[in-house]
Amino acid sequence: MDSLTIIREFLDSRLEIAPERVLPEAKLDDLDVDSLILAEIVFEFEDRFNLTLPRNLKSPRTVGELVALMDRLRSEQG
Amino acid sequence: MTRRRVAVTGLGLVSPYGGDPGDFFARLLAAESAIRFLRTDDVPRPLAMPFVSCPGFSADATLGRALAGTLDRFAQLGVAAAFAAWDDAGFPRKAAAPDRESWGVAWGTALGGTLAYEKGYRDLWQRGRERLSPLSLVQGMNNAANAHISIQLGLGGVSMSHTVACASSAIAIGEAFRRVRSGEAPVMVSGGSDAPQAYAVARAWEALRVLANGDENDAAQSCRPFSVDRSGLVLGEGGAALVLEDWDHAIARGARIHGEMLGYGTSCDHSHLVRPEAAGQVRALEAGLADAGLACGDIDYVNAHGTGTAEGDPVEVAALRAVFGERAARLPVSATKSVHGHQLGAAGAVEAIVTVLALREQALPPTAHLADLDPDCAGVDHVLAARRGQTLRIALSNSFAFGGSNAVLAFRAVA
Repeated sequence: MDSLTIIREFLDSRLEIAPERVLPEAKLDDLDVDSLILAEIVFEFEDRFNLTLPRNLKSPRTVGELVALMDRLRSEQG
Repeated sequence: MTRRRVAVTGLGLVSPYGGDPGDFFARLLAAESAIRFLRTDDVPRPLAMPFVSCPGFSADATLGRALAGTLDRFAQLGVAAAFAAWDDAGFPRKAAAPDRESWGVAWGTALGGTLAYEKGYRDLWQRGRERLSPLSLVQGMNNAANAHISIQLGLGGVSMSHTVACASSAIAIGEAFRRVRSGEAPVMVSGGSDAPQAYAVARAWEALRVLANGDENDAAQSCRPFSVDRSGLVLGEGGAALVLEDWDHAIARGARIHGEMLGYGTSCDHSHLVRPEAAGQVRALEAGLADAGLACGDIDYVNAHGTGTAEGDPVEVAALRAVFGERAARLPVSATKSVHGHQLGAAGAVEAIVTVLALREQALPPTAHLADLDPDCAGVDHVLAARRGQTLRIALSNSFAFGGSNAVLAFRAVA
């Protein structure tokens, strides 16, 4: 499953955010994705793909940046 | 120091009977037991015990999925109860109001988020996982409920949690009361919540040998305070909250006032962790009466701690006899845990609400299943059936905890 779909499904289930609002250009702040929710999303990816995220990652600001980060880690560690 | 009068302007419950305080009180008057038999599928040995659940409570429906998913069940129960009390008090949920910067929360929980921690332990040790949910810590921490209440209601004053076993929320209410009475905070939300159904927690209680016997057939009558055949307490989950408000503040905004809080007394037995002592309870009762400026003759009802344990019940009655002397025999006393069970950190708040409602409705709920009084528990006027049409002015609520901590709250009816 692609990273955007995973993020959309997670936000739909966890925060009841309609998938059509989760667009690459959408700001995470505007979707009420705070640092705790972001940590939950990261955990979801770590869990699904057995990834380990470096501690000193720069926090993504948009859905697109989050997707790019997850795609890169999946490609490096998958 | 000028003492402000303290009004009770909001009542909120998540109870086995639902969330309506009026209906809750009617069920208590009818001695309708909410105790059921709990049987789980846990390994190595399933739980099988009388228990009180809140089956009608949906955290998602009440709080919304986003908030509910961030909370352990103890905090879900607590935030929902606080919201109900807040709505009952007539305040808007979240206002961009600078005056709320001094309003606060005092919350009681005996256990905190033990279900969250237990899930973590199961993940690590049973399921062999290496990572835990990033919410594990913030769900489990004892101050999660009061923190979320402050955030959700926009309250900028003190936000504190009190963990004092079965007296947790009585002490929270007492500490909140002092802040309103002193003028430090015009409004405080106070109460408590607990969800003791975590497997290891229930097993730990079982190991103490203080839980009531009971099976599928007689679970409803398994909690029998003051009865010669009592066998122990019945654990339950729940949340309860009161809004305490500066009297003049409440009058100025035209708030409905359920009752007046008059006093708070607390003490420690300082003798034993789990064996209560009448002398310590006497000091809490006397401190509560003195704090409220009351004499024994002023008290028309006591909602007892009355858990139904072999050791606890006679000690509480002995303390009441010592404080009230000859009048004790005419002092109405009831233990409503006989039907709503023991919500641990929420119990003091549940019973504070019972006490306020008794004064408001001028009616006394009974101790259920008390057909055969233990002679060691005699000497007070046990309320054996609902008494309506009473003239009730002032009442006390007792909460006595493991650790020897005692708390007594005093309330007055509003004319």
